[in-house]
Amino acid sequence: MPIKTWELDSNFKNEILNEAGGEHLTACYQCSTCTLGCPITEIVPSYNPRKIIQMSLLGMRNEVLSNPDLWICAICQTCTARCPQDVVVGDVLAAIRRIAEKEEEAGNLKIESPRPLFEKAFLHTVEKYGRLYDIGLALEYYPKREGGTVSGIKAMMNDYKDFGMRMAFRGKMGPLGGHGLLKGVLPSKIKKTDVMKKIFEKVEGK
Amino acid sequence: MSVDKLAYYPGCPSEATALDQDISTKAVFKALGVELVEVEDWNCCGAAEAEDPKLVYALNARNLAIAEKDGLDIVTPCSICYYNLARTNNALKADEKLRAEMAEIDPSLSYNGTVTPKHILDVLMNDIGVDELKSKIVKKVEVKVAPYYGCYIGRPLGTAFDDPDDPVLMDQLIELIGGENVPFDYMKTKCCGGPLMMTRADIAFEMARKVLETAKNAGADCVALACPLCGMMLDAKQPDVEKALGIKIGMPVVYITQLLGLALGIDPKSLALGKNTVDTKVILGKVV
Amino acid sequence: MGIAVIGGGIAGITAALDLADAGYKVYLIEKNAELGGKVAELAECETGISPQVVKIENHPNIELMLSSEVEGLSGSAGDFKLKVSGKEIGVESVVLTPGYDVYDEIAKGYGYGSPDVVTSLDFEGMLRTATAGDTRELVRPSDGKPVKKIGFIKCVGSRCKENEICSTACCYYTAKEAWEVKERYPNTDVYIFYMDIRTFGKDEELVADLKGKYGVKYIRSRVPEVIPEEDGTLTVKYEDLEKGTVERLDLDMVVLAVGLLPSKTIKKLAEITGVKTDAYGYIETNLTSPMETSVRGILAGGAATAPMKVRESVTQANGAALKAAMFSERTEMIPGQEERKYIDVGEEPKIGVFISGREGEIAGSMDLSAVAEHVNQLRGVAVVNSETNTLKGTMEAVESGIVDQGLNRIVIAGYTPRAYEDMFRDTCAKAGLNPYLLEMVNLREQCAWVHGAEEATGAAMSQMTMAVERARYLEPIPIESYPVTPKALVVGGGVAGMIAALDVADAGYDVYLAEKEPELGGKLREVTELQSGEKASGVLKDLVDKVNSNEKITVYTNAAVEDVRGRAGAFRAKVITGEGVDEEIDFGAAVLATGAIEAVPEGYFGYGQDKKVVTQSEFAKMLEGTVDANTIVMVQDGTPGDGVHPKYKSIEVVSNALRAKKLKPDLNVFVLYQDVKTYGKWEVLYKEARENGVTFLRYDEERPPELKDGIVSVYDVIFNDEIQMKPDLVVLSTRMLPAEENEKLSKMFMIPLKNGFFLEAQERPKLVFTPVDTANEGVFICGSAVYPAMIDESIAMGSAAAARACVLLAKNFLETPGIVSVVDEDLCAGCGVCVELCPVEAIELVDVPVAAVTYSVMTVTGGTKKVARVGEGCMGCGSCASYCPSDAMSLNNFKDKQLFAQLDFA
Repeated sequence: MPIKTWELDSNFKNEILNEAGGEHLTACYQCSTCTLGCPITEIVPSYNPRKIIQMSLLGMRNEVLSNPDLWICAICQTCTARCPQDVVVGDVLAAIRRIAEKEEEAGNLKIESPRPLFEKAFLHTVEKYGRLYDIGLALEYYPKREGGTVSGIKAMMNDYKDFGMRMAFRGKMGPLGGHGLLKGVLPSKIKKTDVMKKIFEKVEGK
Repeated sequence: MSVDKLAYYPGCPSEATALDQDISTKAVFKALGVELVEVEDWNCCGAAEAEDPKLVYALNARNLAIAEKDGLDIVTPCSICYYNLARTNNALKADEKLRAEMAEIDPSLSYNGTVTPKHILDVLMNDIGVDELKSKIVKKVEVKVAPYYGCYIGRPLGTAFDDPDDPVLMDQLIELIGGENVPFDYMKTKCCGGPLMMTRADIAFEMARKVLETAKNAGADCVALACPLCGMMLDAKQPDVEKALGIKIGMPVVYITQLLGLALGIDPKSLALGKNTVDTKVILGKVV
Repeated sequence: MGIAVIGGGIAGITAALDLADAGYKVYLIEKNAELGGKVAELAECETGISPQVVKIENHPNIELMLSSEVEGLSGSAGDFKLKVSGKEIGVESVVLTPGYDVYDEIAKGYGYGSPDVVTSLDFEGMLRTATAGDTRELVRPSDGKPVKKIGFIKCVGSRCKENEICSTACCYYTAKEAWEVKERYPNTDVYIFYMDIRTFGKDEELVADLKGKYGVKYIRSRVPEVIPEEDGTLTVKYEDLEKGTVERLDLDMVVLAVGLLPSKTIKKLAEITGVKTDAYGYIETNLTSPMETSVRGILAGGAATAPMKVRESVTQANGAALKAAMFSERTEMIPGQEERKYIDVGEEPKIGVFISGREGEIAGSMDLSAVAEHVNQLRGVAVVNSETNTLKGTMEAVESGIVDQGLNRIVIAGYTPRAYEDMFRDTCAKAGLNPYLLEMVNLREQCAWVHGAEEATGAAMSQMTMAVERARYLEPIPIESYPVTPKALVVGGGVAGMIAALDVADAGYDVYLAEKEPELGGKLREVTELQSGEKASGVLKDLVDKVNSNEKITVYTNAAVEDVRGRAGAFRAKVITGEGVDEEIDFGAAVLATGAIEAVPEGYFGYGQDKKVVTQSEFAKMLEGTVDANTIVMVQDGTPGDGVHPKYKSIEVVSNALRAKKLKPDLNVFVLYQDVKTYGKWEVLYKEARENGVTFLRYDEERPPELKDGIVSVYDVIFNDEIQMKPDLVVLSTRMLPAEENEKLSKMFMIPLKNGFFLEAQERPKLVFTPVDTANEGVFICGSAVYPAMIDESIAMGSAAAARACVLLAKNFLETPGIVSVVDEDLCAGCGVCVELCPVEAIELVDVPVAAVTYSVMTVTGGTKKVARVGEGCMGCGSCASYCPSDAMSLNNFKDKQLFAQLDFA
């Protein structure tokens, strides 16, 4: 089926341009530099940042936002560093991901990838404690990802049973982990958590 | 030596999975006579998970502002923390409006742009310098090393402090301590897969495998690195990579500070060499 | 006083020679120890430029200052004081030709440093040594293994954040290098990685040939890295757009087509001279004054003003030289304008043979002493000299051989006749020997390059024998001089023609300007806005006023030129106008500036029937008002029909697209293209268009876009899918047709056409050192009559043509050519075969009186008979001589006895 440009959202590129990090999208001249250097493309051949940008420029909003490949960027910034037009490809893709998340929040889209859940869980611990709290993160992420507490815990155990033991044995996590007793179990909480709250409220509230 | 005191930003993994890096960093700087003053009440930089640049700027403005009050440049052993601190610094320095926006969130985010964020590798090689390091080196660490830089040392351009395709600082440091760099050029700056570990472990494991097997095929005794997320992926997760892909790698992975510490004559325990997941004894045997 | 030319590359050499040949004192200042600049490093150019270098070194009007740095400048136009390496010189004007640097901060990922990854300039060097060393195979520098696959990566260090603009020359030089590889090593596979192929005119044909008959693969990917494999293979990755995959290709060698940067010396020169530089570090000039800097009296040319090819550099240099001359006074003698007396050579040949080893280039490939010994034994040889190594050395030896040893025939071996014959003829003449008593042997291309050492020595011996035999029969050819008419005719009153007329007039010569239309202005009259944003009407009015008010210019409108006769320096023609003028005019030089006409794309996308389909120039006029459309589709390529694609096609597209977007930001503009050819600084306009939301869709020739039921469909090859638009307006780029009168002018002025456009003199196969000169001396070409290009190029070419014309007009007299046909009237039977054959109609049959002859038994009465007579136009092609049934016709210097003597020993 040919792509009918009049059915597309020609404003989509402006939407990305207005998102922090997406400002240079339109400088792209489709040279393939990003895709050719991408370590993800080497593993997942369908992954093509150039094409995501091209579809965005054309206004294929739905196709782009529902593209599962959006979520497998490792943010290694090889594309950003090499882009001859300074598109800041890594940040453009992040901008597109944020638009997708907003769409999901608005109920217009279902994101299959667990990545937004993970990032949110991560940031929730930061918001709450000021620092990353691995266990807290896992306890939020896995149940959400698996759609239930029991299955979540199960998945977490599956991923982290061996790993946790290794970390515990080496004194990195667990009751004897970190820089002292119980520090590997309890969150490392900063004093000014109120500032964290403000940051998240004000930045994300916008 | 042009530096004797720095604000130290350890980053979240320093308290857990990258305890070994934190311990060895502190030990090395102590031995080199550089005082590290931990940024008081520091908060997370947002890592790779904060995808909104504004959020990154806000989180890091606070840390930078704290260091600024002490009048110290800020150093971190973590590549992602470095990237976030440095890009925040660049953005805020260049944009008065953005600085005002940050200050409006909370006064403790008022930052004037006078701090230079640095990565430990940069401080070691460029601020402390080869001559000074040489004068403090007491032992030879005769290991074959695959110097692994990962992502944020050579890129992106605005924050990088080494070449994006062919970084050299770690190579030089390894030579300085008597080690040998194995041919590893193409892999030096490839991503370890870390950021995908929790969401696409299959891809992340494959990426880690490439790095580790390339090092192994190149005849390395160990991989050296300078980022706790790389450490997590390549070392702490190595048995998981092996299990998932049904392969055997067994490649010791150490932080560059651990190797340097050995050359400075620090005992292995004080460098937390027992805390690495893959056994590092092979290295200890080559310190003369 | 004089004129300083700063920078001794091809542009500086060109400017210096133009000025010096026109009688100006020139200081040629070069920071390096040698002249030639980058061109001297190119495989093809080294030999092309060395005759010019020698000419400069021996030019009485040029003071060559090598290894010299410009340290200061004071004063103003007409009275500059220039400090050069501690020395002060007074000059009236300055020409800046500092050239370019090659991009050298090549990303480490390309693996430059590995011997098998080289830059284009390195590769030129490799091709050059391969030429001299008689290598049959292209080998890998690292291990000497044959190169089975070679890849060229374009745009390394151009069209990128480090160097925003397009380096313009790379697409061509890459194609040329690929061509050389395929020509010499047909088994080597060649891959070229590119984004847009930005070649024009003839170069476009070269690319088509590469893709077609040479099987070179052009792959669209900007390759970001070269991955070294353990076995020494170099892997590159590219996107196979059709398959939608990333592919790997293993290569044996990689050539990085590195970009051009402004020369590092420009910054310093700008500080010293005060000339402004542009955002990219080039010397700032204007679209409408492309050689003028911000400082009066300081001109600039070549790749110091923008990245460009040799052709454009030389054009600007020609023009800049003339502009600089306007500030100066002619003070010097013009070489060749002194009276020459030739010695009486007598009957007995006394042959001097000079064999140059060319610093090993020839000496290394054969046993020169054996050759010399052999020659020494030949009849008539008085002197054999195989000691000289350099051109200058050989010339001096020849001169002293004639003057001191009384040699009366000269044989030169080791130099390519094509490049050096004129120069050695001049050496002979200077020493008092008739210049046609010279014979040359091509030991380089015909012996050293094509044979192994032993074979080469033998081949050289037999060629030398042939040459000496021929030399024995060479005769002096009488040389006559005739005065130069110090006037020029310019045909065509468009921008290029008007500029040419003004420049020639400003140099002090009378000009006839013949325009076929009722008004001056040409295509500029149709243009609303220049790409710089400047209104065309102002530029046009200014030029027309200047021409009309110039007392030295006689303007004929509604005019045609007819009945051209004569030769360089002494032409005559008729000007006939619609107003009834019918005049004979005399002129020493002619400039053809007939321009080009936009082809009507009749029928393409329904143009002509569908009102929604317009041309770019029609669209530009619409942009003077408001844009009444929501979606516009521009089709840049594929316009069928005759004519050529103008060089500005893409620039026109992006600037009109941008103008439209600025008038109406929410307009949807789609550009359907095959290659976006925004060369040079125009690349930023392309970026601006993208940033303003213009969508570019790339298609293949095989799957062209279509308009059906109001829907334009195109198969986007980058997207790999069909994309459709519903435009309110379709805008077509047009081809350009040559002016109708070119055909007639081509015949009258004896200049070949290509696709209806005038063809420049073909001095060397692949480089254009004389872009406005033609095969017919004294006739110059410029502007769109040569190739439709941007206004800055037309202006530069107009000035360049004027410059070349002025070099000729500056002379008091010229000499008749020696190699022409001569008739033995006694033998001529008046059959007229030669009259039919002569391609330039230089032969006519005339009646001559025949005296009565009395034989023993009878008397044949006198009267007249018809005989052939060779007129002034003879170009010495020899057609008549070869066909003449009674052997009455012969060609000077190629007489039967000379040729047969040579053949006897072949």
